Order: sequence, then structure tokens, then C-alpha cells
Amino acid sequence: MSTGSTTEAPGVLRSSSGTSRHWMISIASVIGGLIVWQLAAAFVIRDPVLLPTPIETVRVLIRYLTTPYPSAGETLIGHALISLGRVIGGFAIGSFIGIAIGAMMAGFRSFRAVVDPFIEITRPLPPLAFVPVLIVWFGIGEAPKIILIAAGVVPVMAISTAAGLDAIPREMLNCARCLGASEWYTMIHVRIRAAMPQIITGMRLSMGLSWTSIVAVEMIAATAGLGFVILQAGQFLDTGLIFAGILIIALLGLGLDACLRRLQRHLDPTMKP
Amino acid sequence: MGVSQHENRQQPAVSDQSGAPGPMTNAAVSVSGLSKTFWRDGRPTNALHDIHLAIAPGEFVCLLGPSGCGKSTLLHIVAGFIPPDDGQVAAHGGLVTGPGVDRCVLFQSPTLFPWLTSRDNVLFGPRSRGMDDEETRSRADALLATVGLADFKDHYPHQLSGGMRHRAALARALINRPRILLMDEPFAALDAITREQMQNFLLDLWQREQMTVLFVTHDVEEAALLSDRVCIMSPRPGRIVDIVDIELARPRDEALRDTAEFVALRHELRERLAGA
Repeated sequence: MSTGSTTEAPGVLRSSSGTSRHWMISIASVIGGLIVWQLAAAFVIRDPVLLPTPIETVRVLIRYLTTPYPSAGETLIGHALISLGRVIGGFAIGSFIGIAIGAMMAGFRSFRAVVDPFIEITRPLPPLAFVPVLIVWFGIGEAPKIILIAAGVVPVMAISTAAGLDAIPREMLNCARCLGASEWYTMIHVRIRAAMPQIITGMRLSMGLSWTSIVAVEMIAATAGLGFVILQAGQFLDTGLIFAGILIIALLGLGLDACLRRLQRHLDPTMKP
Repeated sequence: MGVSQHENRQQPAVSDQSGAPGPMTNAAVSVSGLSKTFWRDGRPTNALHDIHLAIAPGEFVCLLGPSGCGKSTLLHIVAGFIPPDDGQVAAHGGLVTGPGVDRCVLFQSPTLFPWLTSRDNVLFGPRSRGMDDEETRSRADALLATVGLADFKDHYPHQLSGGMRHRAALARALINRPRILLMDEPFAALDAITREQMQNFLLDLWQREQMTVLFVTHDVEEAALLSDRVCIMSPRPGRIVDIVDIELARPRDEALRDTAEFVALRHELRERLAGA
């Protein structure tokens, strides 16, 4: 019985059952983690201020989906939409600028020499460090929040775009040219098109990065947003709400990454099943 | 058929010669006094030195030589990918200043665009010049049928075998109705059986379409089987040291490979290559 699945080796059957098995393992792993969390919180730590149980976290989450927090503010849905808007805004602006810089880096050696040090210097800096300066420069409105997210996205997108464009074999470009494509057409339809999978990998990385800086961003005099909720709940030791906020960030991050992954699979036919 | 095709052909991407002295105008390809030096780490490599070559329309010419003799460089200069340091190249009388649809290049790897199906790959050239009418599309389908890929037109390159990819690349080149095919060791990476099939296929096609072919190879048998003329090249500096006319009757097929005449010719080419 057990040998049955290993002997009927060929292609499609095995790989599809392999993927579904991977899925089962992943789901089991998540459930296992939740059980460990539940047991640890309920029987070992036994203090909801230190660590609420996952069941309590979900209960808090559901309550605040309809109840505004703070009482004069938004519901969790409202906060989530506000944060989502900031992340997507910063991500979109940052991606646009980053892709443009990356394309210029791949096109002009001297330009690369000029911007390379700046990218290398800014990439490892924590976004939090820029909060005070951004407030001085741009005030406390939406602008500094979106700029802070975009600033984290730009170097990642520039590097992955340049790497993607660099990786295209010279022969493929020559080929397009001798088939009659103009230099401009070759740039758009061959060079950038061929780099798309790598550019989207960069987008996935920087989308994650945008969410990691949302709390820092919403330290800038925010009165709404998931980062704001987490900071606010922290001041009142409302640990359940902190975890609820974290959970929503995790789910939104996963959802957006799934969209980008789908786009990537659509653009890269070698990834199709 | 052949005549009407000539009328449909694309204008070559070459500038007018404006009466300048130089390449003979009745040749399909004419190379005169061509030299090229590459610099790496401040040291020169004399890739090509004073090359003269004239290829008649419809002729099949091989550049045969060891790796590093500059044969690929010569082909790339004729293609217009790199400019020569000295001398000039003309295609059908017009000076070559860049790549053009009159001279299509096939590389050692098929270089299909991996995100396009075979059919969209074939249509790449016309579409890049804004031609995407019903006639072009049906011509693409006809060409795919010619190269035996009628059932694979919606497949992506990674779903095709090595030989199929080369045939798709050939169809993609032919849709532009090039007058000159430039082939850079196109079959070198194929297995022996597929290579023979592709060679026969190419001979068939060349005879039908009456194109001029410049074919780079380091395979003596391949050069003997395919060409009207073999130019033997030698490295450092890269130059043509010997030109051998291949008098074998056409059409040539499988059976020819085992004849005494062919074996003797192969032997002679090998001798001359060794002496180069």
C-alpha cells in the first residue's frame, strides 16, 4: 500500500500530490502553532496582559471590527483601510521611482556609479531613524508617512530592477534588433519584459518592507491606522488589541503577497503548472 | 513565386552608398579590408585582420575555423551588431550601419522569448514594426507548419524540445523574408541525430527560398555538407587563409555523407584547416 504512491512515479500525478501534501503540512504547522500558543497562554503564562490566548485575540478582533477604537475613532476595518492606503501609496510611489532608477542604472554605467553609494548607504537604515527629520521637513500630515514608506521601497526596487535588466543575455537583444525591432521597442518589449519576474520579486520584498515600517510611520502624529492602534493599545496594556492589530497586518501582508505571486506566475510561463 | 517574394521584401536597413568607391554592388554580401581589434585590460586582441569576402546572391558560404579565430565576430559585424574598426561591409550594395531585417541572425541558442508562445515568437518581428494583420498571422501559421510546429504554436519555448526551438527560431527569422541568413554555429548544441535533421531541413529550405547564407561552424563535416564555398579561418590575427569550392552535386542528402567523394573532401578540408 505505502509503496504504491512511490512506484507510480511519472510526472504530473506525483508532483500534484506532492504539492497538496506540502499544503497539508503547512496547514498542520499553522494549527500546531496556534495550539501551542493557546496552551502556553492558558496554562503556563496565565496572564492576558502578558500573552492573550489566540481565541481571546480573535474575540477582541471581532469586537473592534464594529466598535470604534478609541471610542471617538475608527473601527479596526477603518484603521486597516487607512494603513492599507498608506502602504499602497508609499509602495506605488517607491516602486515607480525605484524602477526608474534601476532602469537608468542598467542603462548608464556612470549613473550607476553616482547612485550606487547612496543606495548602499540608505538600504540598511531603519525607517524609525528618519521620523524626526521627516516631521521637520514635511510636517505631520500624510506626506511624511507615505514618503517614509516609499523611501524604504526605492533602494530595493532599484537593485532588483537593475539586476533583472543586467541578467538579460546580449544575444536576446541582438536577436530582437535583427528581427526589426527598434531600440525603444526592444527596451520595452524585450528588456523590461524579460526582467519582469525579477522586478516582481523585488515588489514582493518591498511590499513586506512597507508593512514592517507601518508602525514607525504611524508614530508620526497619527490618529488612525493599525500602527496607531498598536501603539495606543500598548500604552493601555491592552495586549489583546495589540495582537489583533498584528494579526490584521499579517493577513493583509499575506493577501497582497498572494496577489503579486499570482501576477508573477501569470508573467513567467515557466512557472505555470 | 520567388520573384513576387523579392518584391515584398523589406527595405534593407542600410544607407545609400552615394557613389563612394568600394564594395561590388552585385554581391549579396561584400566585405572589404575589414579589421577589428578588441581591448581587454589594456591589451589588444587582433580579432580580425584585413578580411575580404564577396558572397554571390543565393550562395551558401561557411566560415570554418577553430574557436577564437574571429569567425563569430565577422558574422556579428556583417549583422551590424558591432562596427568594424577598418573597412566596410555592404549587403546588396548598401553599406551596413546596423542590424536590419534583410539580414537575419540565428544563434547557437535559439534565443526564443520565453514569455511568448511559438506563434507569438514568430510574430515578434512583424509586430515590432506595427504589422499585425490577418495576412501576417496566417503567414506565421503557414511558416510554423513548414517547420513542423503546427501542433505546437500555442506552446511556450520551455515546453519544446531543442530541435523544435531551433525550428521555431528559424520560422521567426523567415517571416521577415530576409535575403541573407547569418547563422552562428546554430546547431552546435544539438545532439547528433537532431543536428543531422536540422542540416537537411536547412538545405531544403535554402533551396526553396533561394536565400544567401553565411554559416559559421567549427565542424568540418557540416561545412562540407552544406556549403558552396568554405572559407577557412585562422586565429591571431583572425583572417581567411584558404577558400575551398565544394563541387558536390545538389540537392545533397543523407546518403552523400557516406560516399567516397564526400569522405575525401572532408579529409582535404581537415588537412587544410590543420595547415592554416
